Amino acid sequence: MSSARLLRYVVRRLAQAIPVILGVVVLNFLLLQLAPGDAATVLAGEAGGAPAEYVDALRQRFGLDKPVPVQLALYVKNILALDLGYSFRNQSPVLPLILARLSATLLLMGTTLVLSLGIGVLLGLLAAVWVRTWKDHLISVAAIIAYAMPLFWIGLMLILLFAIKLDWLPTSGMEDAAAFYEGGERVLDIARHLILPAITLSLFYMALYARLMRATMLEQRGLDYVTTARAKGLTERQITLRHVLRNALMPVLTVAGVQVGSLLGGSVVVESVFAWPGLGQLAFQSLFARDLNLLLGIFFISSCLVVLINIVVDVAYVLLDPRVRVG
Amino acid sequence: MPIPRWTALAVTGLLALAIAGTPAAAQKSGGTLVQITQPEPPNLAPYISTSAPIGQVTAKVYDGLLEYGFDLKPKPSLAESWEVAPDGKTVTFHLRKDVKFHDGKPFTSADVAFTIMEVLKKVHPRGISTFRDVAAVETPDDYTAVFKLSNAAPYMLAALSGYESPMLPKHVFSQGDIKSHPNANSPIGTGPFKFVEWRRGELVRLDKNPDYWRKGLPYLDRIVVRFINDEATRTAALEKGEAHVAGFGAVPYSDAKKLAQLPSIEVTTKGYEMISPVVELLINTKKPGLDNQKVRQAIAYAIDRQFVIDNIWFGYGKPATGPISSNFAPSGIYTADVTKYQTPDGIEKANKLLDEAGFPRKDGGVRFEIVHDITPYGPEWQRFGEVVQQQLAKIGIKASLRYEDVATWLKRVYSDYDFFLTSNFLYNLPDPVIGVHRAIHGKLIKQGTVFVNGAQWSDAKADQLMDKATIEPDPNKRAEYYQEVQKIVVDGSPIVWVFELNFPTIVNKRYHDVVTSPLGIYTNFATAWRE
Repeated sequence: MSSARLLRYVVRRLAQAIPVILGVVVLNFLLLQLAPGDAATVLAGEAGGAPAEYVDALRQRFGLDKPVPVQLALYVKNILALDLGYSFRNQSPVLPLILARLSATLLLMGTTLVLSLGIGVLLGLLAAVWVRTWKDHLISVAAIIAYAMPLFWIGLMLILLFAIKLDWLPTSGMEDAAAFYEGGERVLDIARHLILPAITLSLFYMALYARLMRATMLEQRGLDYVTTARAKGLTERQITLRHVLRNALMPVLTVAGVQVGSLLGGSVVVESVFAWPGLGQLAFQSLFARDLNLLLGIFFISSCLVVLINIVVDVAYVLLDPRVRVG
Repeated sequence: MPIPRWTALAVTGLLALAIAGTPAAAQKSGGTLVQITQPEPPNLAPYISTSAPIGQVTAKVYDGLLEYGFDLKPKPSLAESWEVAPDGKTVTFHLRKDVKFHDGKPFTSADVAFTIMEVLKKVHPRGISTFRDVAAVETPDDYTAVFKLSNAAPYMLAALSGYESPMLPKHVFSQGDIKSHPNANSPIGTGPFKFVEWRRGELVRLDKNPDYWRKGLPYLDRIVVRFINDEATRTAALEKGEAHVAGFGAVPYSDAKKLAQLPSIEVTTKGYEMISPVVELLINTKKPGLDNQKVRQAIAYAIDRQFVIDNIWFGYGKPATGPISSNFAPSGIYTADVTKYQTPDGIEKANKLLDEAGFPRKDGGVRFEIVHDITPYGPEWQRFGEVVQQQLAKIGIKASLRYEDVATWLKRVYSDYDFFLTSNFLYNLPDPVIGVHRAIHGKLIKQGTVFVNGAQWSDAKADQLMDKATIEPDPNKRAEYYQEVQKIVVDGSPIVWVFELNFPTIVNKRYHDVVTSPLGIYTNFATAWRE
């Protein structure tokens, strides 16, 4: 496979993504119009009441007095110019608001993805190797428990155990709020704060990947090419690691790619429990405040993120499996 | 010659005693206080939004002309003295001469005139009404500000705290559009703490202002305001000592009781005397049935206020008698001498009233059915809704419950008037003109405006009395007018005033003098100190 061809493929996929994202933007805009109440009412409500002239002035400033099609056209025009608009509630342009939160979310998502894929695949592999022994049962039962527990509950229990009872880790936040560390100390501090939320968010996906991995491993082991390999005289270890593992990884990778979107959704809960300053919380708050510019901006950025990650997954296929071609 | 150790100790001890003046331990400088504010404020512009969490942050940065004691009387702050003319139409403030904004520029009467006339009177949600009668602010010299009023406005002197009417630097905020000003989220005031940074979703950092005009203050080096979305996590952070102060229901009432038992934590209900939240049931008096005064009185009789306080708010409350909180008792404005709905035979009285009103019990003992909307502010409000449902069932009113999100609920109640009975809570704020009129005055039946007269009920005599009280400089006459208003309105029963909510404030015991005013955590913490 020539790298030029791969590059062309990526560029084409990116070009195809533009109408998809625009469609998402328009659809989101229209769906949000269905929600009753608007930002002006909520702002006035938070203020504990305000004169009518104040609310009218707000509507006018937010452009909420214009008809919906005009609002939509304006919004799409701005998006095409990569202008995400202004959040009146936050008294700030939308883009810096999102960027300030993006790194925290990416850190949490990235760590979770690595943790859950790494450990999930490993556990699934071991369960398949030890199939129908007590170790396999142990892994399977643990996976089902992790899969079935609600995220917020796991989070709270971990806080109670590791922060309050054992006093090993901080309860919440991304950094020590009183200390304001710099440099290396800051990195260590963030890492300490990352442990509990990353574990909480990982457990569910880890369990999912472990079960999927075990199933596909077992399925692959019964296929003809494994018999052939065995006939060739390869050891079980070579067969498992070089042949079965690579093939079994494909479905897991596919699911992981699709799951990135829901990882963003799951992170709302975890971010909320651990006060992690990420995008999920911002989306949640802006929905309840009817801060549509901000909410649409978050949707826009996350749909870009999902599209990008799926392109990365498709490229990973090619690298994992020489039979898959781009074109 | 080295001084003997014991002498040094004795001298230090004497000095400490001399400085403290009271037998309490001497205040110490230094340390960081972590405050939890819930939810995260949408912005840091208290001059344009009175969203509840904003003031908890910005009151540390902006000073007001006045401060207030627990007797609700004004005390000097940026204004070291003031005079009110006998007719109440001229109020003169003499300003301190040693005050600088955080950017080094001096604070003068020009800043006062700008803040009141160009900002608060025009864009502050409550300032629009508070300063409506201020015709001009004259500045004869840099340190004198003279408010010229078209009518006496006795409530105005209660609304000049750094929380309610923050003094802004004219040289900063007169540049550009005040409604989308770049400094909306990076406040520059004269207060004891300077704004350093706001990490969205995480924290606001405020550092000590070394040039604060009260010499030697503040004691704390830093205040960090943290935002934690989950209530259980907020409790955990306070329990562990990662955070030290939280108020306004940031901690669930059940957890407040639990935290109060820890040796490291103190829970106080002081610091809300100028806020005075009152929990109520708002009745849509235009709905058939509910337009009948007897039906509304029956509902008022049916609600067991003490049960709600004890079982849902874990005791953090006191039965309310009418629209005005008993916090106004010292000024004589409050009276309990009104129709009493909290009586042991309330249910019987209610049933009798409903019979008289012509709503006999039909199949299954039901007289009529309504939908009860629940204020979308959290789980205790849902429990409250369930109690209301049960108690209404006792008098034959079948209520089904509806819980929506804030925007939907506001629109339903205040824009569409598409409701029967909803729970709600309103602040009385420092004066009835600011916090009470809005809910019961006929002028304030304004469709589409939130937290005004959603009951759509009014009484000509009560309106007239409120109008007189608004411009009456004599406090005794004002008190009389308001006592009369309470009698009329409570009898009309457009709203069931259920109880005065006493928010618990959680304070870590290593920190002292945190709640020192009737505005509680809406004040500047200049005198708060850490052991």
